[in-house]
Amino acid sequence: MGSVIELENITKVFRVLNRHAGLKGTFTDLFSRDYKNLVAVDHVSMSIEEGEMVGYLGPNGAGKSTTIKIMTGILEPTEGKLLVNGRVPYANRTLNAQNIGVVFGQRSQLWWSLPVIESFRILKEMYCIPDKVYKNNMEMFDELVGVSELYNKPVRQMSLGQRTLCDILAAFLHDPNVVFLDEPTIGLDVSMKSKIRELISVLNREKKTTVVLTTHDMGDVEALCRRIMIIDHGKLIYDNNIQQLKQFFGSYRTLKILPAGNVSFSEADLAKYGRQLLVLCPETRNVVFGSDEEWLTVLVPEDEISLIKVLEHMQTLIPFRDVRIEEITTESVIRKIYEGTSDAKPTLEAGHGE
Amino acid sequence: MENRTKKLPFRRYFSITRAGILEMAMFRSSRVLDFVGNMVYMIVVYFLWRAIYASTHTVSVNGMTFKQTLIYLTLAGAIFSTLNNYLVWKMGRDIQSGQISLFFTKPMDFFLREFFYSLGNVATQLVLTFIPTFLVVSILSGWSLPMGVNLLIFLPAIAMSLVISFSIDFMVGTVCLYSQSIWGINMMKEVIILLLSGATIPLAFFPEAFRNVLMFLPFQAIYNVPLMVLVSNTYTWIDYARALGVQAFWMVILVACARLFFRSSSRVITVNGG
Repeated sequence: MGSVIELENITKVFRVLNRHAGLKGTFTDLFSRDYKNLVAVDHVSMSIEEGEMVGYLGPNGAGKSTTIKIMTGILEPTEGKLLVNGRVPYANRTLNAQNIGVVFGQRSQLWWSLPVIESFRILKEMYCIPDKVYKNNMEMFDELVGVSELYNKPVRQMSLGQRTLCDILAAFLHDPNVVFLDEPTIGLDVSMKSKIRELISVLNREKKTTVVLTTHDMGDVEALCRRIMIIDHGKLIYDNNIQQLKQFFGSYRTLKILPAGNVSFSEADLAKYGRQLLVLCPETRNVVFGSDEEWLTVLVPEDEISLIKVLEHMQTLIPFRDVRIEEITTESVIRKIYEGTSDAKPTLEAGHGE
Repeated sequence: MENRTKKLPFRRYFSITRAGILEMAMFRSSRVLDFVGNMVYMIVVYFLWRAIYASTHTVSVNGMTFKQTLIYLTLAGAIFSTLNNYLVWKMGRDIQSGQISLFFTKPMDFFLREFFYSLGNVATQLVLTFIPTFLVVSILSGWSLPMGVNLLIFLPAIAMSLVISFSIDFMVGTVCLYSQSIWGINMMKEVIILLLSGATIPLAFFPEAFRNVLMFLPFQAIYNVPLMVLVSNTYTWIDYARALGVQAFWMVILVACARLFFRSSSRVITVNGG
């Protein structure tokens, strides 16, 4: 199996105007020649094999979308070499487009005012999909997510979830070798998220399509990807499998408790809660207490004790008004990677999953 | 899974035309209003030009009778609403929102894609607004419009009008890559085209020196040429051939300009981001 996507030292530099604040600043900007260079992607190299599903993560503005735009041929890199399906995307944009599918979570490629089936028909013509392939794919899509009842609904009347579902199907319709999904689950509710994850995972498996997925949602990544790449400030800081990544964030979740009445969170108080909890349940020795404004935060290592158990015990200690559970965010994973100790250093060249 | 590397056939653009037709048909009430709007325009033109003719005390002004002027301007209004497809707005919006980057991930040439989309809009408008307006004008004028070979020649003429006006719109739309203002540019374009093409005032009314200059500009090829083909009772085969020749000349030049301009400008996108 050859690699489908090959990036070598890709760098993208944008030239942006140095803007100034205020009315006077804005006015002088009109005539300003004061540009600065913004390095969006900084010597990124990667190689993605056929059929892989890769999670591409990073905080906002890290360079994720820029990399995707370079791989889809929308942007031309400032430096470096890349091949997608053995072609240089920006040089052969039309040809490259035939073998890729794209979903940008915040945009839709569907025809806004037409029934969605028309968008599929247009795509059939646009990519010259043979009748048989089209029919098989449409049948498969309907089996997977039951879209046939949506066919006659104009896209503008669809919910965000329905539209995203159709957008993803549209990207897979012409059996592309590679599909780029840029934040496909953004703004969706939990049940739609899981439906879309299921769909992506089946399509990747059944059609052997290489999928590059960018997201902020660690849930997407855990559900879908075996291999993770993390980009921050334009640099690839992590490229390895998800098990390795879990060493960085373990399986921690944060329990946040809003106590009833006025409770102070001095060091001594926090230590006291820790002792009391330990008496109730000895498995909680690695639970870390902290505070966040009026919230009491409890970082729970779920390998050792379940979050629900901790919650149960806490209930006997203090009365609450409210409770929240927070997942580890991409940002905190990245922080952990930076803080990474010598035994778990970010590995750029390490072999990835499989 | 085989790699599809062969060139895709041209007919795939017709699917975009089909979508253009469907989209127009989705908004049925708009089409009725377009037709009604043309009728209202005809009434306004009627009273305005009756006053102008009344003040001159002659039957014909600049070689055009009142009736000829009225027919000419009403049909110009109908061509305007046929060709006007808000391309500049659409491109400006797609550029500002970044939606244009999605078109770059499709195996289609952007110019042709937009053209075939406009073609769908225009074809629908031609059938639903231009033809009814033409029939009403014919009836009201006592069937004095020529009904012969001119109707056949009009079809290629209006098609070339579309290509010419599309290319100009496309160039103006491309300017949106550099400028943030869509409204201003579009207004300017519209006023210039409507005035210099003879769509608001027949070219016969312009001073001769000015008219001679206008004849060397592309704008008159959009309105004046197809309109004269349609309404003139005196055109000969040579006139028809010359009319189509002039249009073909401008069509080739403007398409080339629009494509070159967009090609060099799209580097703004690929280099500086969408």
